[in-house]
Amino acid sequence: MRDWIKKWRKRIILALAIVGPGLITAFADNDAAGIATYSVAAATFGYQILIIILPITVLLAVTQEIGARIAIVAEKGFADLIRERHGVRVAISMYGLLFFVNLAVVVQDVSGMKAALALFGLNPPIFPPAIIVALYLFVVIARYNMIERFLFVLIAFYVTYIASAWLANPNWQEAAGALILPKGPITPRFLYVAIAVLGTTVTAWGQFFINSYVKDKRLTTEHLKYNRAEIYTGAVLTNTLCFFIIVAVGATLFANRIAVTDAAQAALAIRPFAGDFAGLLFGMGLLGAGMLGCVVVALTTAYAFSEFFGYSGSLDENFRKSRLFYATLLVQLGVAMGIALMPGVSLFTITLIANFVNGMILPIIFYFLYQFANNATIMGSYVNNKVQNALLIGSALIITLASLVGVAGQLLGW
Amino acid sequence: MLYFSQLQGKRVATENRTRLGRLTDLVFLAATQPMVTKLVVDGGRNHRYIIPILYLKKINSKITVADGFGIESLSENELYIRKNILDQQIIDIKGNKVVRVNDVAIQDKIVSLAGALTLMIAGVDVGIIGILRWFGIDETFGRLFRLLGKTVTSRFLSWADIQPLALARGTVVLKKEEKKLSRLLPEDLADHLETMSIRNITRVLDLMEEKLAAEVIESLNVTYQQNLFKLFTPERAGKLIARMDPDEAVDILLTLTEKRRDAILKTVPPQKLLELSSLLSLAKTPIGGLITSEFFTASPEETALAIRRRIGRETGEFSALSYIFAINREGQLVGAANLHELLLAAADTPLYRFMTPSVVVLHLTTPVEIAIKRMLKYKIEALPVIDDKKNMLGLVTFDDLAESMLEKFV
Repeated sequence: MRDWIKKWRKRIILALAIVGPGLITAFADNDAAGIATYSVAAATFGYQILIIILPITVLLAVTQEIGARIAIVAEKGFADLIRERHGVRVAISMYGLLFFVNLAVVVQDVSGMKAALALFGLNPPIFPPAIIVALYLFVVIARYNMIERFLFVLIAFYVTYIASAWLANPNWQEAAGALILPKGPITPRFLYVAIAVLGTTVTAWGQFFINSYVKDKRLTTEHLKYNRAEIYTGAVLTNTLCFFIIVAVGATLFANRIAVTDAAQAALAIRPFAGDFAGLLFGMGLLGAGMLGCVVVALTTAYAFSEFFGYSGSLDENFRKSRLFYATLLVQLGVAMGIALMPGVSLFTITLIANFVNGMILPIIFYFLYQFANNATIMGSYVNNKVQNALLIGSALIITLASLVGVAGQLLGW
Repeated sequence: MLYFSQLQGKRVATENRTRLGRLTDLVFLAATQPMVTKLVVDGGRNHRYIIPILYLKKINSKITVADGFGIESLSENELYIRKNILDQQIIDIKGNKVVRVNDVAIQDKIVSLAGALTLMIAGVDVGIIGILRWFGIDETFGRLFRLLGKTVTSRFLSWADIQPLALARGTVVLKKEEKKLSRLLPEDLADHLETMSIRNITRVLDLMEEKLAAEVIESLNVTYQQNLFKLFTPERAGKLIARMDPDEAVDILLTLTEKRRDAILKTVPPQKLLELSSLLSLAKTPIGGLITSEFFTASPEETALAIRRRIGRETGEFSALSYIFAINREGQLVGAANLHELLLAAADTPLYRFMTPSVVVLHLTTPVEIAIKRMLKYKIEALPVIDDKKNMLGLVTFDDLAESMLEKFV
C-alpha cells in the first residue's frame, strides 16, 4: 500500500512538472485567427464542419508529440537542429519565412484583440497598444514559471466558449452525431473551409514553438511518457473547445442563416439568439485567444532567432543576457501592432498571405521533422517507430495537400 | 586568408586535369595547432575521397592535388570542419550561449621551398559578414558600406580561445567567459593564435622533449621567440639554443641583454658554443645604418584597388617598392604582401585576405650576416625591422645589404 502511494506520488509530481508545453501550444493553435476561422466555418456550414474535428485532433497530437520528443531527447530546438544539420543558407531562408508567416498570424491576433476590445467599448488607439506593451513588459520581466501560469490564465478564458455554447441551447445529440457522421454533401467550398480550419490548427509556428518551449522547460527523457500524455490531452481539450465554438455559432447563426466574416461579428450576432451574456462571453474568449496568440506566436519567432543564430534566449534569463531574444519579440509585436492598427489594412489579404506562406513552409517542416525523428544520432533509441512514421507521413501528405488546396481556393475565390 | 565557405563546393582536380569532384569538408587536428590534415572530396555516386594535405598543390578557382595522390581514413584526434565546428553553438566556460559559428577562417602558408601548402584554422567567424558570405553577398555589402565611407569587417574568435578537446563531444566551448572575450579583427587572428600558443608552450614546456620544443620555437615568429627566451631559465635556454639553427639562435641571443646572453651561453655545450661565438663575433655590424624609411604601409581592411591607387599617388619618389606592409590599429606589423599578390587580388579584396600574416622580420640588433642569410633562405628581397612592440621601424633591402658587404672587401 505504501509503495503504491509512493509510486503514485512520484507519478503525480512528474506529471505536474511537465504540464505546460502541450496544453499551451494546443490552445494557442486556437488563437484569435483560429476562432475567426471556426466562426466563419460554423456560420457557413453549421454542424457539418464538425466532421473534421476528430482527424484534426489526431494530426495535431501526432505532429506535436514528435516535435516534443525531439526536443526532449536531443535537448535542442527545431531551429537548432535545422541550422546544425543544414547550414546557414537553409537556416536564413527558414527564418525569413517563419518570421513572415508569424508576423501575419500576430497581426491577425492583434486585430482579433482589437475587435474584442471594441465589443466592450474599449476602442483603439489606446487599449490595444497598451495591452501589447503590458504583455511585452510582463514577458521580459517575469520568468518562465510565472509566464506559464499567466498563459494558463489565458487558457481559462476559453471556458467561456463552453458557456456560450450552452446558452445557445443547441441540439447536443445532433452536434455529437455530426462528429462522426457526415451531414450534407462535400462541395469544393466545404473542402476549402475545412482546410482553412485545419490550417489554423496545425501550423508552422506550432512545430517550432513546442520544441523551443519544451527545451526551455528542460524536460528529460524521464518525462517523455507524461509529456506525450499531456500533448494528447492538449490536442483533445483544444479540439473539444473548438467543438463548443462551432456549436455556439452553428446553433445560432447557421440555424438563422446569418453570415459573418470574423469572430467579433459572430460575438455580436449571437446575442439576439443566445443572449447578451453569451455574446459577452464569446468576446472575452476572443480577447483571451488574441492575447495568447500574440505572446506565443511572437515568442516562437524570438526562440527561433536565438536558436538559428546561437544567441542566448530563454524566458528564465534577464533582458541583459538575452537581449536579442527579447528584441526580436519586441520587433515582431511592434510591427504586427503597427500593421493591425493601420487604418485601411485588409485583414483578408493578410490572412490570405499567411495561409499561403504557412502552406509553403509546412511541407518543408514535416520533411525536417521526419528526418530528425528518424536520425539515430539525434534520437538514439527514441527514433520514430513504424506507426509514428506512417502517421507523420500521412499527416504531412494531408496537410500539404490541404494547404495547396486552401491556397488554390483562396486564389480562385471558392 | 581563406574561408571555409569559399572552399566548400570548389572543384577538385589532379595536376593532369582529371576531375575528382567537389570539396565537401576538411579534416583537421583538434589540438593547439589546428592543422588541416585532409581534404574530403565528394566524387558523386557515393565516391568519397579523403586526401591527405601533402598532396594539395594549389588553391585558386579550383583545387589541384598531385597526380599520384593517396587516400587515408581519419586518425585519432582528427575532426571535420563542417561536421564538428561549422554552424555549431558556441558556449563560454560558464555554459552561456554566445553565438553560432558562421564560418571558419583558415590561414594558408607556403612552408617549404618546394611550395607545399599548409592550412591552419585561425579562428571562427561570428559576425554578420560571415553569414552573408554564404550567400556570396559579403563583398557587395562591404562595397555598399564603403560608399557610405565605412569599412565593415567580420568579427572572429581566435582558435586560441577554443577548447579543442570539447569539440569531439560536439560542442564549441570557449576557454573564457563571454565578457572577457575579445572579438578579433581578421588581421589579428594569426597573431593571437601565436600568443596563445606561447602561453600553452610555456605551460607544457616541462613535459616536452627538448628536440620538439626547439622545433616548435623555431616555427614561431621572431618576436615571440624573443619573449620566450626572456622567460626561460638560462639552463633551459641553453639547451634549446643548442638544438636550434645557429643563425636563428644568434638573432635571438642578440635581442637579449649582454648579461643574460652570457648566462645562457655558459650552459651551452662547448662544441656548439664555439660555433655560436664565432657567429656572434662576426655579427659586429649592426643593421641600424642600413634602414630605409622608404616603405609602404596599408591598413589590413584597405582593398587591393585602393592600395594600387595609393601606390600610384604616393610612391612616385621611391627608388623601389616590392612589398606592402599591413599595420593594424595599434601600429603593429601584422602582415605583408608582395606586388604579385597585390596584382592578382581582385579589386575589392581587402589586404588581410591576400597578405602573409607571419612576416619574416629583423630587429635592430640583428647582424647584417644573418639578415642576408634570412633573405636568401626565404627568397625575400627586403625585410622589415621591428621593435619590441612589433612597431615597424623601417626596411632593409637586399641591395643595400649587398653594398655594405661589398664595402668590407674593397
